Amino acid sequence: MPVTAEPSAVRGGGRGRFAAVGRAFALVRRDPFATAGVLIYTVFLTIAIFADQLATHDPNQILYRPNGRVASNLPPFAQHILGTTNLGRDIYSQLVYGARSALIVGITAAFAVVMIGTLVGLVAGFFRGFVDMVMMRIADVALGIPFLPFVIVLSSFLEPSMWNVVIGMALVVWPSTSRVIRSQVLSLRERTFVEAARVTGSSPFRILFVHIAPNVLPLSFVYGSIAVGWAILTEASVSFLGFGGGDTVSWGSMLQNAYASQALSRGWYHWFVPPGVCIILVVVAGFFVSRGFEEVLFPRLRD
Amino acid sequence: MQGSSRLVSRLVLTLFVLWTVATILFLIFRLMPGSPLAAFVSPTFTPEQQDSLRRQFGLDRTLFDQYLLFIGNLLQGNLGESFFYKRPVGEVVMTAFANTIALTLGSLIVAYTFGVLMGAMFAWKRGTRVEAVGIPIVLVTRAAPEFWLGMVLLAIFSFGLGWFPGGGANSAGQSFSSEWARIFSLDFLRHLILPATALALYLQGLPLLLMRTNMLEVMQEDFVTMARMKGLSNWAIVIRHAARNALLPVATAFALGIGQSVGGNVVVETVFSWPGLGRMLVDAVAASDYPLAQGAFLLITTVLVTMNFVADLLYSLLDPRIAHAGHR
Amino acid sequence: MSVLSVQDLEVYYKTDRGVAQAVRGASFEVPEGQVVGVVGESGCGKTTLARAIIGVMPKTARIAGGRLMFQGVDLLGLSPREMASRRWRDIAFIPQSAMNSLDPVYRVGTQMAEVLVERGGMDKRAARRRAAELFDMVGLDPGRLRDFPHQYSGGMRQRAAIALALALEPRLVIADEPVTALDVIIQRQVLDTFKELQGRLGLSVILITHDISVVAYASDRVVVMYAGEVIESGATAEVLGRPFHPYTMGLCKAFPELHGGGGTLVPIEGSPPDLIAPPEGCSFADRCPFVEPECRTARPPLVDVASGSLAACRRTSEAEELRVLAGEAGTWLRS
Ligand SMILES: Nc1ncnc2c1ncn2[C@@H]1O[C@H](COP(=O)(O)OP(=O)(O)O)[C@@H](O)[C@H]1O
Ligand SMILES: [Mg+2]
Repeated sequence: MPVTAEPSAVRGGGRGRFAAVGRAFALVRRDPFATAGVLIYTVFLTIAIFADQLATHDPNQILYRPNGRVASNLPPFAQHILGTTNLGRDIYSQLVYGARSALIVGITAAFAVVMIGTLVGLVAGFFRGFVDMVMMRIADVALGIPFLPFVIVLSSFLEPSMWNVVIGMALVVWPSTSRVIRSQVLSLRERTFVEAARVTGSSPFRILFVHIAPNVLPLSFVYGSIAVGWAILTEASVSFLGFGGGDTVSWGSMLQNAYASQALSRGWYHWFVPPGVCIILVVVAGFFVSRGFEEVLFPRLRD
Repeated sequence: MQGSSRLVSRLVLTLFVLWTVATILFLIFRLMPGSPLAAFVSPTFTPEQQDSLRRQFGLDRTLFDQYLLFIGNLLQGNLGESFFYKRPVGEVVMTAFANTIALTLGSLIVAYTFGVLMGAMFAWKRGTRVEAVGIPIVLVTRAAPEFWLGMVLLAIFSFGLGWFPGGGANSAGQSFSSEWARIFSLDFLRHLILPATALALYLQGLPLLLMRTNMLEVMQEDFVTMARMKGLSNWAIVIRHAARNALLPVATAFALGIGQSVGGNVVVETVFSWPGLGRMLVDAVAASDYPLAQGAFLLITTVLVTMNFVADLLYSLLDPRIAHAGHR
Repeated sequence: MSVLSVQDLEVYYKTDRGVAQAVRGASFEVPEGQVVGVVGESGCGKTTLARAIIGVMPKTARIAGGRLMFQGVDLLGLSPREMASRRWRDIAFIPQSAMNSLDPVYRVGTQMAEVLVERGGMDKRAARRRAAELFDMVGLDPGRLRDFPHQYSGGMRQRAAIALALALEPRLVIADEPVTALDVIIQRQVLDTFKELQGRLGLSVILITHDISVVAYASDRVVVMYAGEVIESGATAEVLGRPFHPYTMGLCKAFPELHGGGGTLVPIEGSPPDLIAPPEGCSFADRCPFVEPECRTARPPLVDVASGSLAACRRTSEAEELRVLAGEAGTWLRS
């Protein structure tokens, strides 16, 4: 996982409920890295949404030449933008549909991880004591589970499917988020605005979700933007190993097909380079966005 | 002393985590679809073998009895019999483990040496063009899937230029007097270079960024200012004081890195047909060789959890504030 | 004979908002074998001044003018190399927080030896002997040389910092708030040790503090700073007994130990001017109870006011009456 320096404090108190979120969004614009990240995300999101329109062929369809033979191993930049696979499938169209599965997996996994991580962090940090102890021990166990092997074993237990990655991440990856959120909550709960809410008789849950939660949301967002890339990487690895979903087209399964079809020894770079580049772009976008947020949120890193 | 009681509690926690993960694994494999017997007894075994295994693992008894037996066997290092290799899992797994450790350590040492030096350099060059160009490049290498890096390296240096072999850990037909001779042979090294490079490329980003951030922080510390006031040489300031302090968390990351790579190498091992633990796990799962899968997984977990503990230990050894607590 | 003569020193910081003029034309002398107390509110430029003298400043700092004559040589004219070779041998430094100024990962003895070997040219054996001797001098058990900094108490750390500063027998020691972080009783003990050593070794010392009682207790001469300027200087008894600048009068009034019981304690209201855009006239004008319209037109120069004392105020001739007024609490309360 990328380096995220232990955050010191989220600036400001809890004036507006969503002030912190709004502030974070406003400041992204000032950071070129973050802007580039958001831009890359937007492009891939557009591709994923309009995959049906953007693709030139059905990604799983075996194409034929006019003479009736399979249109296998066509070079790029002719009738097919990126050429065809050894089984006569259109590589460009696979790439476009791959964006869709990558983002679906990436976003759901990131959402699941951050939801669980934030909730656990909030509850553990706010109620402390026994609840905290139990949750942190569970976190220790989760951190002791080797992630990729776990997803592999999981997929032999469940049906092979791209959702295994989401389940695996939800079960194993949340502790790093929850630890940070927890320490944030521990410091927030001592602040004056929380004290004020307590004195005016707000219920604990109201204090937690109305006064504290909005202040840790930007932090969750940082972890979310990293988790998206992390999930896409993992999905690619799992698909590459052949434990992905049956005929879902994904960048990982493209790479697996290329690898298994000797694309490397035959030098068919147009087949296995583009999926890799797409993965890099999406993951890097996550880093850029989170890096931008970090600098916005933890100014001490700046100097 | 405060330091040692902290370590004891970390040790207890480590054992607790190991036990919990083993239990989860037990449940996963017993709840596997199909007959619970299928998980441990291959129909290809002889009837006598099947019988003996059933007895050994109590497969005809209650789940709880099976669990007790499982833990008991585990404590004695008995992980059952591989369906495929028809040998004890412990033995099979250990050969693969040696290959994995060689790959992991090789790539980590390269990655951390490079990362630490470059990280210190980037800290030194803060705010310059070197940094403006360098940091995005580092982020890109961190974002690249390591197996894809491996594929590209293979296509170029093995199949394209023919400099390195295309997979495996040793050439066919080679024989060695011992396991050590095999691992320290030139043939092994030639096979190791590409996969280790792919991994190192992927791994170097973490120590690099960590070192850079730490150096920047340490250079702001009062004791570095004081070192300058004392008129110490730049070398003494940067290496003896700044780098020594900045290296603390990097050393911890290295230990953690060993634990994570042993499991995380799965894909690179597959790309390079590297006969390591990860590839063994993948093959075992694909071939429904459950005892072997379970054994490989448990070994990977043990290394991960142990290294998490070692990282903690290392940190307290290297940081006198923890190692020499008390006396105030 | 002066060890150090600070002449019209100007130090600026580059900041996000503009250039901050942290030290503005400061001048004073450090006579051989004497303790010169530099006193002023926090933020008035004391640390900046100290770090300019030893030549170790943040990257954003720039010396914009003046001279630092050390035994007849202008330190500002030296090459970085020459300056580095003078540090600690000629000029040593005692920081405010020895906790952060000692490297946490090395034993204190190792850090003593580092200076003695690398800067003092001693061999390891001699360095170890000298370190023990220094520890003895500052009242620490030489056995504690084997400990790490975090194992020391606050007072011990400051003593260790003093020992470290004396290691190479420097001509001048700059102590920047050396006892501020300690509680009052320990402050006294550490100051006593320091004072005794200073007398015995005949050290010249710049003792920086925001606490005028520390100056009164430990220094021979005093330099009062305000907003980056020296606004009054002279023999300690003289300046504190018969201050000529209203700021000094206010300072003396704000500190309990000097005050001697009578009257009430009144802090000076308001805050110092913005150093990015300092005022044209007297920088204390906004807070001065005796301000006149003319005070705001030009900066008053440091002038001779009495036997060896200097003050920068337009109304030094009326000092006698102003001191009486300054003694009344009401004077310092804004309407
Ligand atoms: N590194 C710096 N960058 C910018 N301004 C600084 C820096 N250090 C100090 N200053 C400013 O210079 C002025 C003098 O600071 P300092 O010398 O630390 O005062 P003192 O030691 O008397 O408290 C203050 O206004 C402070 O804000
Ligand atoms: Mg200061």
